[in-house]
Amino acid sequence: MRKLLLILLLTAVPVLAKEVLPFIDNDYSKALAEAKRKNVPVFVDAWAPW
Amino acid sequence: MRAFVFTDKALERYAGQFVWLAVDTENSTNSGFLKKYPISVWPTLLIIDPKKEAVALRYAGGATVPQLEKLLSDGQRVVRGTKSKADEEIARADRLANEGKHAEAAKAYDEAIAAAPKNWSRLGRAAESLTFALFQSKDYERCATKALELYPRVKGTYSASNVTANGLSCASEKPENRATFDALEKAARETLDNPKIPLSGDDKSGLYETLISAREAVKDEAGAHKLREEWAAFLEGEAKKAKTPEQRAVFDSHRVTAYMALKQPERAIPMLEQSERDLPNDYNPPARLGVIYRTMGKYDEALAAYDRALAKAYGPRKIGILRGKADTYAQKGDKEAAKKTIEEAIRFAESLPEGQRSESTIASLKKKLETM
Repeated sequence: MRKLLLILLLTAVPVLAKEVLPFIDNDYSKALAEAKRKNVPVFVDAWAPW
Repeated sequence: MRAFVFTDKALERYAGQFVWLAVDTENSTNSGFLKKYPISVWPTLLIIDPKKEAVALRYAGGATVPQLEKLLSDGQRVVRGTKSKADEEIARADRLANEGKHAEAAKAYDEAIAAAPKNWSRLGRAAESLTFALFQSKDYERCATKALELYPRVKGTYSASNVTANGLSCASEKPENRATFDALEKAARETLDNPKIPLSGDDKSGLYETLISAREAVKDEAGAHKLREEWAAFLEGEAKKAKTPEQRAVFDSHRVTAYMALKQPERAIPMLEQSERDLPNDYNPPARLGVIYRTMGKYDEALAAYDRALAKAYGPRKIGILRGKADTYAQKGDKEAAKKTIEEAIRFAESLPEGQRSESTIASLKKKLETM
């Protein structure tokens, strides 16, 4: 598991998702306000570029 | 997931059902978010109830498209309001896990499973999260026992991958309990070999790594070596199947680890050079080349690679790259440059905002500096 976590820590995922899902980048306040307005939950992909 | 999952058209129908937020945990603009929702596994997927500003669902790790669809539906159910004891307990457990209270989270996941009705669709996720929370709280014996107990209920599903990997990792901490260890190793292998479970390349690679660690735990070097070769061949096959440079590069870090474990670091050079050409804004390929060249004793090439990485790097990861550069100077015999590089790493680590700043990292850098 420790090695698995290390792999997760090192995994490269540098590409942004194409517009299948309209992701907001790095703006929690904006996402939260929009979710309240639309009355839907916020889905968060907490990722890292490595 | 960004290379393989979020681009899948099957997810289009969910676009309006959520607000989609991507949080780069290395980006300092997210420090406030990270203080509220600490992240220690990448990726971590969260579903947040906007009215309560609270975690409705938390999943540590990546997911395939069908897994994600299930998570989305579970998250919606929690936000709408849970009705059963099992659903209430799993939602409570997710909140505790978000707060880093792993032992308490494990207890709540356990209670969710105990209260679960027959055919409860959240059983797999609860079993994965329970074994992971027990691993996180270092309750290895209970983690292995629970994984083995739950395996028949998740066998043949995606969840078998994480349940067996978590359980075997825990059993490898205490391999003297051989019956449990052997049973979990067998379960992990049969999960890896089951063609009916459409596991992601990441999942399979993780299972290989866990199986290798298990062989190492019982000091079976020949068995571990055979698995490492099988793992490297599998990763090369996955990389060949990739349709984009981003998809291919997903396997770079796994392949670096596999080649290093095989003591053949030079095998990583062509792929990393290719990734550096294909993804010119990504600091990972040169950072990994730095590690590879340093391992090979090619210190000047390593330093040049680290500098190329540092020119693009940001966030906490930059500290690791500076550390690698300092180690290269030290191995080259240039103590003064090594010291200066660690001092630079300390300054950078201290400049990070709350949520990204790690006191333990700063302390370990200072300790390293003292010994130089």
